[in-house]
Parts: sequence; C-alpha cells; structure tokens
Amino acid sequence: MNPYLLIVLLTSLGLGTALTLSSTHWLLAWLGLEVGTLAILPLMAQPHHPRATEAATKYFIVQATAAATLLFAAINNAWLQGHWDIQHMSHPLFTSMITLALLLKLGLAPMHTWMPEVIQGVSLNTGLIVSTWQKIAPFILLLQIKQIHPPLLTIIGLASILIGGWGGLNQTQLRKILAYSSIAHLGWMVLILQHSTALATFALLIYIFMTSATFITLKKCKATTINMLTTTWTKAPTITLVAPLMLLSLGGLPPLSGFAPKWFILQELTQQNFIPHASIAALAALLSLYYYLRLSYSITLSLSPNNLPECLQWRVNYPISTPLSSALPAALALTLFLLPLTPSALTLII
Amino acid sequence: MLKILIPTLLLIPTSWLAKAKWLWPTTLLHSFIITLFSLAWLKNTSETNWSTLNPYMATDPLSSPLLTLTCWLLPLMILASQNHLAQDPLVRQRIYITLLVTLQLSLIMAFAATELTMFYVMFETTLIPTLILITRWGNQMERLNAGTYFLFYTLASSLPLLITLLALQNKTGTLSLLIIQLLGPIPISPYVNIIWWTTSLLAFLVKMPLYGVHLWLPKAHVEAPIAGSMILAAVLLKLGGYGMMRMMLILSPLAKELCYPFIILALWGVLMTSSICLRQTDLKSLIAYSSVSHMGLVAAAILIQTPWGLTGALILMIAHGLTSSALFCLANTNYERTHSRTMILTRGSQMILPLMATWWLITCLANLALPPLPNLMGELIIISALLGWSWWTIIFTGAGALITATYSLYMYLMTQRGPVPNHMISMNPSHSREHLLLTLHLLPLLLLVFKPTTIWGSAY
Repeated sequence: MNPYLLIVLLTSLGLGTALTLSSTHWLLAWLGLEVGTLAILPLMAQPHHPRATEAATKYFIVQATAAATLLFAAINNAWLQGHWDIQHMSHPLFTSMITLALLLKLGLAPMHTWMPEVIQGVSLNTGLIVSTWQKIAPFILLLQIKQIHPPLLTIIGLASILIGGWGGLNQTQLRKILAYSSIAHLGWMVLILQHSTALATFALLIYIFMTSATFITLKKCKATTINMLTTTWTKAPTITLVAPLMLLSLGGLPPLSGFAPKWFILQELTQQNFIPHASIAALAALLSLYYYLRLSYSITLSLSPNNLPECLQWRVNYPISTPLSSALPAALALTLFLLPLTPSALTLII
Repeated sequence: MLKILIPTLLLIPTSWLAKAKWLWPTTLLHSFIITLFSLAWLKNTSETNWSTLNPYMATDPLSSPLLTLTCWLLPLMILASQNHLAQDPLVRQRIYITLLVTLQLSLIMAFAATELTMFYVMFETTLIPTLILITRWGNQMERLNAGTYFLFYTLASSLPLLITLLALQNKTGTLSLLIIQLLGPIPISPYVNIIWWTTSLLAFLVKMPLYGVHLWLPKAHVEAPIAGSMILAAVLLKLGGYGMMRMMLILSPLAKELCYPFIILALWGVLMTSSICLRQTDLKSLIAYSSVSHMGLVAAAILIQTPWGLTGALILMIAHGLTSSALFCLANTNYERTHSRTMILTRGSQMILPLMATWWLITCLANLALPPLPNLMGELIIISALLGWSWWTIIFTGAGALITATYSLYMYLMTQRGPVPNHMISMNPSHSREHLLLTLHLLPLLLLVFKPTTIWGSAY
C-alpha cells in the first residue's frame, strides 16, 4: 500500500477512537465510531483476494448496522429526554438498544458470528487492529452508560465465555481461534462491567497486551493454520520457547499475566455474592484453555526428534521482520510477567 | 526463606552460564548446597510452631519436612536426568534444568506460603513446568494426552477452590494461616457448608489422587521423563495431602459426616488400586498405581482428623515420597538399558546388574513397609488411627497391606529373577551415578528411622 495512503488511514483510525473517547455527545461518539470503521475497510480489503473483500464487506455491514442502531437510539433518546449526553442515559429501551449495538460492534455472543469470519479473511496485521484497537472505542462507550439492565450483561458475558471456548475447539485456522479467544475474553470484561469499571478496563488492557503478542508472534512465524505452527522451531527458536507461556497466559494460568484479570474479576464477583456466575465463568474458561493448550502442543511441546502428531510442512517459510516485530519483546514481557506487579497496575487504573 | 529462594533462583544463571562440560556437575553441586541449607528448617525451635517467618512465608513442623523433601529432590532429579538428556543439544539441556529449577521455586513457595491465596497461586504455578516436563520431554505420542489429562483434571477441580477461597476471604477478611485458625467457626448455612467443604477439598483430593479421580496419574507417570515421574510421585502428590491438612484445619468444625463417602472411596481405592498393581504389565504404571494406593491411605488418615491420623499421614507422605521416587529411578535404569517398560521383556536383571538388585530389594521392601523403615511407621500409625475410628476399616487396610506386599514381591520377582530374555545381548553396567542416586534416596529413609520426630509434624 502507498505509504501516504497508509498514514492517512492509520491516523484516521487513531482519530476515530480518540474522537469517541473524548466525546460526551452521542453524535460525536457515533462519528468517531464511523471514522474508525471506514478507515479500516481499505486495510481489510487491501490484499486482492475474494476472501479479503468478503471480510471487508461483512465487517462493513455489521458495523454499519450497529452504528445505525446506535444513532437511531441516540436520536430517539434525545427526542424523548432532550439531551445527547452519554453519561446520562436513562430511558431503559434506548439504553438497551445502544448496549446491544455496542455489543454487536464488540462481537459478543450471540452477536459474535461476524467476528471469526472477518478475522479469518484479513491479514494478521489487520486482524491485530480489529481485535485490539477497534475494541477500545465501543468498550469505553459501554463503560460510560450507567443504567444498563443488569441481567443483560451477565447473560451475554457468560454466553460469550462459553461460546468463545466452545467455538474455538474444532478450528484449525489460527485466526479463527484467536477470534473465538477474543470473544471469550470480552465476555469476562462484560461480565464484570456493571460491578467494577476499573476491573473491566484492566482486563481490556491485559487482553490487548496478550492478543498483540500473539498476533505479532504468528505474523513473525508466518503461520495461519495449526499445521504451519509445527515448523516454528526451525524458524524462530526463541519464539518457540516463549510461545507456550504466552498461550497459557491467554488461557489465564498463574503465574502469568493472564491470570490477574481473571483473579480480580472472580474476586469482585464473589464479593458481590455472584458465586454461581463466578463458578460458571471460571469453569467455562477451561474450554478456551483447551485450544490454547493444543496450539502450544503444536508449536513447542512436540518437537523433533520426538515423534510429531502433525505432518510437517516440507517447505519452510522463513520468519519475516515486520515493523511490528520490534514491539514483540515488550508485548511478550507484558504478557508473561505482569502478575506480581498487579497491585500497582491496579492502582494506576483505579 | 530467602536464604533458600535466592540461591535456587540463581541456579538459573548457573545453568545458562556454566561451560558445557561443567553444566551438570555445577548445577548438581549448587543444588546440593541448597539442600544442605534447607536441612536447617527441620530444627524447629519456635514455641508457636511457626519459624522463619516473614510476611508471606513461614515454615512449621508440617511444612518443613515437605520443604526439605522438595529441596532434596532437585539434585536427585538432576542426577537422574543426565543420561536421558545426554543426546540433546546443550541449549535444551540448559532449558531443561531451568524448568526443573522453576518447578522447585514454585513448590518451595507453595509449601511455605502462609496465605491461602498465595498457596493457591503457587499450587497452580507448579502446573506449567510439570506440563512442559511431561509433554515436551516425554517419549511416546500419548504424552500429549497425558498432559491434557493432568492439566484439566487439576484445573477443573481447583477453580472451584479458588472461588471458595475468595468467598472465604469475604467472610473472614483474611486467608492467613496464622490468623484463620484462631477465628473459630464461621457462620454459614448448612447447604453452603456442604458445597464449601466439597469444593475446598476436591482440588486436593484430585491432586492426591483419590480413587475415582486418579486416572490422570498413571498416564502422567507412564509418559513423563524420569525427573517428571520423580517430582510427581515425591512432591506434587504431597501438595494435595498438604493442602488438605491445611484446609481441614479451617473446615474442621464443619460437617464431619461429609467425610464418610470420601473415606470409603479412599479405602476402597487402596484395595482396588493395589489389586490393579497385581495385574500390571507396565513397570511404571505399576509404580504409579502403587502411589495411588498409598495416597489413598494418606487421604483416609487425613479425613478422619485425629492427631494420630495426621502424624501418620505426614510420615507416610515423606517415606512414600522417597520410596516411590527411588522406584521410578530404578525403573528408569532398566528403561535406559532395555528401552522397554514391559516387565516380561526385562526379566532376570539380577544376573546382569547384581548390585542394582540390592537396591531393588531394599526399595521394594520399603514399599511394602518393612520394619523399621518410616513407611511402616506411617502405615502402622494410620492403620491404628483408622482402627480407632471404626473397626471395619481393618478389612480394607489389612487387605491393602497384604496386597501391597504381594505386588511388591511380584514387581521384584518379575524384574530381578527368572530367565534373562534372549534379546538382551549388550547391557551397560550400572554407573556410579545411578548407585549414588539410589543411595541418596534410601539413605535419608534409613536415617529417618533414628530420628522420626523430624517428620512427625505438629500433631503428635
């Protein structure tokens, strides 16, 4: 892509999110969301491949639907209540409508079906943007709406954790697995959203670190299916060493960073006497852990000279150095070693 | 505590900076020095039982034998793995040692934690190195399956424990072991009580493992490399027993009747798993099932909650830790020579490796609890504690002891006696390394006969 065009698109992406984050007015927030969506579409459709075009189209339709719903609800809210303020939404119908629109934008179950399809169609770099940066704006809007019907978020959160775990089980495509992992992680954030916005933000932050590390690693290994991971050890030995830890951190095993948000979310839920919810969420996270474990088996834990479960690729794609690779060490460090620092990290947010 | 933790942490740079030739000797020596210092934990001079206190960690007579056992096992694992890793590239050997050290660190922190949340985190932390040990350094294809079983059995049972601990913290305001036992009964409804009791103990009962939820253990043992089997049998299973003893302290005023099904299951398991041992063809699997049977006794002894029961459980845990680890080492010396775990293919070793046969004899005798070894001391105390609790248990414990003796004999006869199979043409003689390894397993066992108070715990 032409660098000038790329700069314009990337700045618009940043601008869209920044606009949403800094607005108190629904119209401006909607505008920011739309700018973000439109800026990423050329990036998605850029590889000239029918699959990429399809993904871009699907993404556009879904995001446009969500944005239209949001605009409709905001206008109606303004009509009934006479203000456009994000923080003071009080009409139950329009609040629910906006919430659902934002959840659709985030890709939470049962509105998640676009997410694996879109991520599978785009390149890993764009996938990284879609599953991290593009989540920030709708999520921050969701944080600001106060009067959400409580069971709504709980049900959607638990359903996302379950479906995110379930859906990834029979996938062989890495990008689809990551999409399902993203659904499950967002489920945790939505589950805690009404109890503690600080914890939800913390979970989002850790999720962004972990997902970025995973996407950059996959990009560096040029792997898009589980089978392509089996030759990682010939290409990037150091990554091979760290990759299972990164994946288990995504799965939320202590003592890795991924455990911190889960721990605090469970603690908050038990404190609010939602022990059944906490138990279901914790056990449903095991479903996601299964596919992370399977990935780490193929990357590291079944190396030659041991016998291998998959057939090896006969052609090795050598690792590439992208501009993003330089961010890999930092992202990995944040993915692995943040748990002991959690108290200070939490105080920064709260 | 830092006196042990920092040198253990520094083992990692040692293993990465040491010259190739000196890699194994240096790490071995380093870890032995750590072990030497850890022996100081066994002398408890404190009046309150707790010593070497700091804000997060402490030792007491219950944890210090287990801590010392953990420290004792690291050099033995390094010693045992040398031949297994001789063919690997140098970097992988270094990674392997790093992995063992990480496991060691998390185990020390788990046993020494005074805060239950920290204990939980460290309990889970041991999963990752063990998982990598099993699935990365195991031999057969089934190791991946074994790793999955291991991880999911443990996690599925321990996540409810996390939630219970968090709820307990809400109720009491603290999870510190030093404080929580002074709090007195916690007011909760009977219904919650049942759930609470079950979830708190299930994690540890699976880790022990209790008969019925033990299926991960034989798989993990059979597939793990020698160091994995050793640490699993010697220390990781004991983490379950240790956790149960700690949790029972908090839960003890609650629901005594809830123990009954678990005690029955544990005792029935003693009988069943030792019978399974009688018809095993796979040597490592036999030793694994024998671990399940011994840990069944430990589980029953802990669940009846008498001082004798707890003492017996701790003694048996330590004795069994050394014995089963020694058995796995012996199985590995056979495996490294014959490349087979099938007992029928490796008969008559006494003719080939006579001194090794002596080690086999002593270890088998320790396994069947021959006097005066601490194994007998533990079993005897457990059996009499159970007898005091109910007469009927003697049927299970007595029959269990009998079958244990039978399968130990079976194991000895199958591996050491009988005709040497024709396919064994060239066998290496035993190395002094292997003799040293077994001496270091059996020597502490014999020495403990003279001073059993070190492993009696605080309940006697």
